[in-house]
Amino acid sequence: MRVNRSTPANLILNLLVGVCAFILAFPLIWILMMSLKQQAEVMTWPPTFLFSPTLENFRVLFDVAQAGATSYGTIKVDFLTPITNSVVIALGSVIVSLLVGVPAGYVLARRDIPLKEDIAFFILGFRFAPVLLVVIPLFSVFQTIGLYDTYLGMIWVYQVVTLPMIVWLSRSYIEDIPKDIEEAAAMDGAKPVRVVLHIVLPLLKPGLIGASLLIFLLAWHNFALGLMLSSTKAPVTVALLKLLNPGVQFYPVMAAGLVVTMIIPVILIVIGQRHLERGLTFGAVK
Amino acid sequence: MELRGYDAIVTLQSSASQLASSQDRRIKSAEEPRLDWWSIAAIAPAIVILVGFLLLFFYGVYQSLTDLRFGRPLVHFIGLNNYAALIKTEDFWNSIRATLVYSGSAVLAEAAFGLALAKLFATEVFLARVMRPVILLPLVLPPMSVALMWTTMMDPQNGIMNYLLSLVGIGRFAWISDPVTAMFSLVLIDVWTYTPFFALIIFAGLQGINEEVREAARVNGAKGLATFLHIEQPLIAPYILIAAVFRLIESLNQFDIIFGTTQGGPGNSTSVLSVRAYITAFQNLAFGRGAALMVVNWLIVLVGTFAMVKLWRFVRQRVS
Repeated sequence: MRVNRSTPANLILNLLVGVCAFILAFPLIWILMMSLKQQAEVMTWPPTFLFSPTLENFRVLFDVAQAGATSYGTIKVDFLTPITNSVVIALGSVIVSLLVGVPAGYVLARRDIPLKEDIAFFILGFRFAPVLLVVIPLFSVFQTIGLYDTYLGMIWVYQVVTLPMIVWLSRSYIEDIPKDIEEAAAMDGAKPVRVVLHIVLPLLKPGLIGASLLIFLLAWHNFALGLMLSSTKAPVTVALLKLLNPGVQFYPVMAAGLVVTMIIPVILIVIGQRHLERGLTFGAVK
Repeated sequence: MELRGYDAIVTLQSSASQLASSQDRRIKSAEEPRLDWWSIAAIAPAIVILVGFLLLFFYGVYQSLTDLRFGRPLVHFIGLNNYAALIKTEDFWNSIRATLVYSGSAVLAEAAFGLALAKLFATEVFLARVMRPVILLPLVLPPMSVALMWTTMMDPQNGIMNYLLSLVGIGRFAWISDPVTAMFSLVLIDVWTYTPFFALIIFAGLQGINEEVREAARVNGAKGLATFLHIEQPLIAPYILIAAVFRLIESLNQFDIIFGTTQGGPGNSTSVLSVRAYITAFQNLAFGRGAALMVVNWLIVLVGTFAMVKLWRFVRQRVS
């Protein structure tokens, strides 16, 4: 919808958009600046906007051998382990969800099975499950069967977040593929499995990559499951909270940790903006 | 353009009601309504995993009827005693109030700001086209990172927020460290994070409106505000409501943002049900009591969702 506007109106609208974008982006810019400051510079009033940047805070986060020896006293952080945990758990969850969820999404999109819509709705309902109500019994179950604080247990429990999403998204992407293509191939005598592998999957690839980005993001976001069901295998979001020691506030080090956890989602926006919009709005945006 | 809008509406309907749009498809393929083994094999693993979670959910409901404590071997079935004990405490009602205030005010504010943001970006002025990806920014960050980011910014001693306020002549604001202002600060964080969610969905709704409808309104002499009130508003109201359903559910269950900032404090001012349930179960180790709190939370979510979906159906009928 292109409307002819007068120049002043155009200017004002541009200005308003600029202000909104600034409000949305400013906190991130501020945290990035903070992560490059010295502790003393963060604690001054009024806050400084001009400073000489330092990478000291990132060194403190990752330099396990040197932990304890920083320019502002003792602080022991091991940030590499939680990041590894998060990456392993998130990647594992994406792989398991793809293997289990895409076939289910295909059946729900294409096959005429009984109770199809009820099953689809049941699966979507998990997107809104009260996670804590599942975690309280899971805690006792995990303790009993020895899955507490293991990658396997974490990846399994993350499916409550990622699996419904991938089923729902892959179903909607498969419905976008014209059915005629499959029917034509079936007419030519191709077996159903071959049709799926050689015709549907290649067409589905862009959508699946987008959906994988989104569920990786959802897994990366998760905090509550890691907090309650793991200790040494805790994800990076849990480690972040531990950086905020009561009393001793190493804000710049925490800012550096925040930058590390936020840089990955920001990169993902650049890679797959359209797909993320579609996924985050449950398909309202195509 | 027209087609995209139509698609968007169909998807929206399918994600909330039980897919009224698929009926014609069902008729088309009515010749082969059979259950083949391939389909079962393909869908079974997903169903098994999710049914596993469903069983855990029921187990959780059962636990809320017991006096389960961590580290105590004997567990007794005590019926509704947990609930009876809960409703006698002032803290419980305080938690319910906090939960409702938090999600109610956050969703209302997000709907209003989201509508404004969507209208603004739908003007498609130069910056609106360039800045579009920025809308996504808050939504892709981990909620825990968002919570801690705002904790540092809202530091009453030397946070940037107080500095910005001092520029316009407002003195030190306590933000999350004072019981009076803590809830407001949390809602502010929620609004910053999730207003873009409303904006994206309403934006899709605005794009779905047929340009001819707008043109007809303009020819008939409708001015800007009248076009919005009588043409656009009825058409995007279902979008606003569906976004509100999603957000209401999520904000009633919100844990990360509140746990990352105040952990329910100061005092009891922000102790919503989910945070209280966590503290009861994992810090006081009263698992049965914690589960009972979560069941109450879940019931509130259920009632809220049903009310919103009813409203949404009503609004959608008005349009068609």
